[in-house]
Amino acid sequence: MNTTNNFLVSNRRRWLQRSGSTLAAALGLGSVGNLMLMPRSARAADYKALVCVFLYGGNDGLNTIVPTDTARYNQYAGVRGGLAIPKASLVPLAGVNYGLHPSLAALAPVWADGKLAPVFNVGPLHQPLTKAQYRAAAANSASVPDSLFSHSDQQILWETGTADSLTRTGWGGRAAEALATVNPVISVAGTARFGLSSLQTPLVLPGPGATFGAHGLQPADLTWAPNALRKAAIDALYAQAQDVTLGDAYTQAQRNAFTMSERLGALVKVTPGGAGASAVIDAAFAPITVAGKITTPLGNQLYQIAKLVANNATVQGNKQLFFASMGGFDTHANQIVTGSPLEGEHARLLKGLGDALGAFYTALKNLGLGDAVTTFTQSDFGRTFATNNSTGTDHAWGNQHLVLGGAVKGGLGYGSYPELALGGVDDVGQDSWELQGRWIPTTAVDQYAATLLGWFGASEPQLDAVLPNLVNFGTARKLAFL
Amino acid sequence: MRLADQGSFGPTEALVASIKAQGPTAWVTAQMALKTSSYTSGQGGAVHQYTGSGEFCADKGANCWRDWSSTQPLVWDFYRNAVTQPDQLRQRVAFALQQIVVVNNLEVDGTYGFRNYYNNLLDNAFGNYRQVLKKVALSPVMGDFLNNANNDKAAPNENFARELLQLFSLGTCELNADGTLKGGACSATYSNDVVRSYAYALTGWTYPAGGATPYGCWPAGMNCRYYGGDMIPVASFHDTAARTLLAGVTVAAGTTAPAALEKVLDSLMAHPNIAPFVSKQLIQHLVGSNPTPAYVARVASAFTTGKYGSFGSNQKGDLAATVAAVLLDAEARGDSVTRSAGKLREPAQTFAGVLRALNGKTDGDALAWWWGESLRQHVFRPPSVFNYYPPDYPVPGTALVGPTFGIHSANAALERLNYLTYLLDWGGSTPDANVPNALGTSVDLSAFLSDAADATKLVDRLSLLALGQALPSGPRTEVINAVSWWTSARDSANWQVNRVKTAAYLVFASPNYQVLR
Repeated sequence: MNTTNNFLVSNRRRWLQRSGSTLAAALGLGSVGNLMLMPRSARAADYKALVCVFLYGGNDGLNTIVPTDTARYNQYAGVRGGLAIPKASLVPLAGVNYGLHPSLAALAPVWADGKLAPVFNVGPLHQPLTKAQYRAAAANSASVPDSLFSHSDQQILWETGTADSLTRTGWGGRAAEALATVNPVISVAGTARFGLSSLQTPLVLPGPGATFGAHGLQPADLTWAPNALRKAAIDALYAQAQDVTLGDAYTQAQRNAFTMSERLGALVKVTPGGAGASAVIDAAFAPITVAGKITTPLGNQLYQIAKLVANNATVQGNKQLFFASMGGFDTHANQIVTGSPLEGEHARLLKGLGDALGAFYTALKNLGLGDAVTTFTQSDFGRTFATNNSTGTDHAWGNQHLVLGGAVKGGLGYGSYPELALGGVDDVGQDSWELQGRWIPTTAVDQYAATLLGWFGASEPQLDAVLPNLVNFGTARKLAFL
Repeated sequence: MRLADQGSFGPTEALVASIKAQGPTAWVTAQMALKTSSYTSGQGGAVHQYTGSGEFCADKGANCWRDWSSTQPLVWDFYRNAVTQPDQLRQRVAFALQQIVVVNNLEVDGTYGFRNYYNNLLDNAFGNYRQVLKKVALSPVMGDFLNNANNDKAAPNENFARELLQLFSLGTCELNADGTLKGGACSATYSNDVVRSYAYALTGWTYPAGGATPYGCWPAGMNCRYYGGDMIPVASFHDTAARTLLAGVTVAAGTTAPAALEKVLDSLMAHPNIAPFVSKQLIQHLVGSNPTPAYVARVASAFTTGKYGSFGSNQKGDLAATVAAVLLDAEARGDSVTRSAGKLREPAQTFAGVLRALNGKTDGDALAWWWGESLRQHVFRPPSVFNYYPPDYPVPGTALVGPTFGIHSANAALERLNYLTYLLDWGGSTPDANVPNALGTSVDLSAFLSDAADATKLVDRLSLLALGQALPSGPRTEVINAVSWWTSARDSANWQVNRVKTAAYLVFASPNYQVLR
């Protein structure tokens, strides 16, 4: 991405040099310098933001947070074998019998603040489901979620908050619609299903420093007649009704893009230490910043979100939903380095996750916005308790997740941790050759989402509208982590 | 005109004339006979044979990773071929196939291995889908990517087996012959124990001989990582229990790994899903995102019978018959389009398409890490085995799907315009001395200067080239206005070329170009 930006900058510079000073003036360079972060008082008193961090590929929750009591640790180590994280290496969590993977050390201060909560064995469900019910369910029974263990389908179930893999809209998008937020879900990680509503796509913003705008057609460029005429022609092209539906969808996206780039282009462009940057945010991200650049993809995304939250009045609306993501969690192989369980792919991934979440939490806390922002993880599925022959794990179902933020009732675990027994009460498997430890969730995505959205401001009827299967869980609609 | 967009990387004035002269069937026939493209750039297998001390790249200069490990040399070949080689249809079909049987250079390294993989897809573009799947299953690049290389019966890794079923052949829901869901809802094609049966049946393969490392290779009895050739069987790692596969196919106890692979392929080719599953995706890549069920059924029938008119071998899975059915169907060829027709042009189609139309040239170097990343289609680096976008991505505000909309957004919308600014106003990229046989990336507008004096004629000529027709009258007037601003009085040296630039920018930025009909 840095390469991209450098190319853009150098080519733009070359173009400007060639085109002479008139054009440069017409392009209105330097507008970034005019941007100042809005003072905090500019935000609405009831401002709230939800930040989803999706861990694509299926994070191994069993190695993310590990039970530390002797009985369960021994069960864990017995099955996980070489993949087990040594007990002494775990980040201790005061007050509970669990420890975090050592790569998540940056979250220790959040736990100490009482603002971090793990939620155990969460996953897509249509209704509460026991192993006996699961085993007895007829093929394609509505009581069992669609296409279990498939990446794309289980991502869709998590992002849509349903048990139906054909669902078109995400629970974030539907919440934005139900609560009539000013903006759709704002994504710094692509057009994920989470942010789709029946009428809107998520607003996708590029990373810090990128140009979010059409060169030559931004407001300051239009004082020069040829640019203004080009823009008029572009507007006419995109106002024209199309003969195909997808053409109309395209022109709507183009019109919307111009509107949003005018509002947010300058803010998107701010980089650590650059014009308009917040010293508070930059200080929090300093551990993952080198020479003015954030060093990890998730760090870049959360830096961008921190700026948008700090400038929430510019972004508009007192309720904002954000979406970020990290990929690479599909650790079928090389999850650890053989003989060295603290090294390997998963350790590297969790380091990226923990450091970025820690920086983001600190930034918001120090901006005085901690209570207004709740961050939570989602992921395709958990991974098999049993390991495969490639020092990895395969696709499973229920998983451990993390919620953090000033409003979180942290310092406790929520939901119920699965019984760590292959073929046990939580394992879908029955026959000896399929006992892999794929946990049937004991908390539904619906309940997890309802807890988050309830805090965000959704009424009970709104929750039912956004999460159509929530009603199947009776009075157990929410957990207590918020 | 539509055929040029469906069967090539975009119309040129010469290509449109050629299709008109030959007629669609003859053009498709002639295209299938051509094979002028292949991947040749980049270095060889020594990167997986290095036993010296220190790093392999230590004495190989700053471009070592690029030339030995990455897919960047193949990007050069890809875009050079897309812009200039005549076997356009073969390239488009191979590009579609590489988005179905996906590998990527994020998790696997080795330029020569990818070169083999993608040359196989070019070779088999009009061959048989069974052979495509067989080469994919035996590919050491795929074996490494989805962990089927060195997969051991003792605790089989399910990764390749699952995606072979889900993404490369059948999909997770049972289909009717017209690609619609059986019973109108998702009825599972297979259960998890079936995935595990396939995983067992596919154990017992390792890399071809030839690899080496300074520290030996693991596990014992298996070859070192090496991508030169097909994977080879290792009996001691192969599960020999009896396994029940789909479509009534079973693997008998004691079956060898190569024979079990044939059984796996038998079961996939015999399954009712494979014809509509593959056919619909080929339509979506070549023609439109929302084909009618009847169109899918006609193409699926060609896949199943292996015959379409004069095309095909009568073998199930024949891709010449299938591709001919995709392109020569009334729904692809008809002059009037329905509301649900069309497809958002893929970024790679746009990159190559504008260059082709405007007599441009490219070495592809700028179209990967720069423009490919900006528009989220960096060729050979899709984010995962799930490609750049899903085939069923829903388009909000409509009842339709639009796979390419899965990477479209407010930012991408503006970057599509910025790509035109780059080509037309920034002059593209100059040749980079670090790129072998560098061409840079640029358009040549000289052919259009002759019409610059007449803004209307210029705009209509470019519209005919890019869209096959004039722009709608309202926007057309605004475009002509913008073009006409440039006069000899305002800029005596550059007014004509500035007219061509303005006209080209607006025509290629138009929704009529960006969304294929």
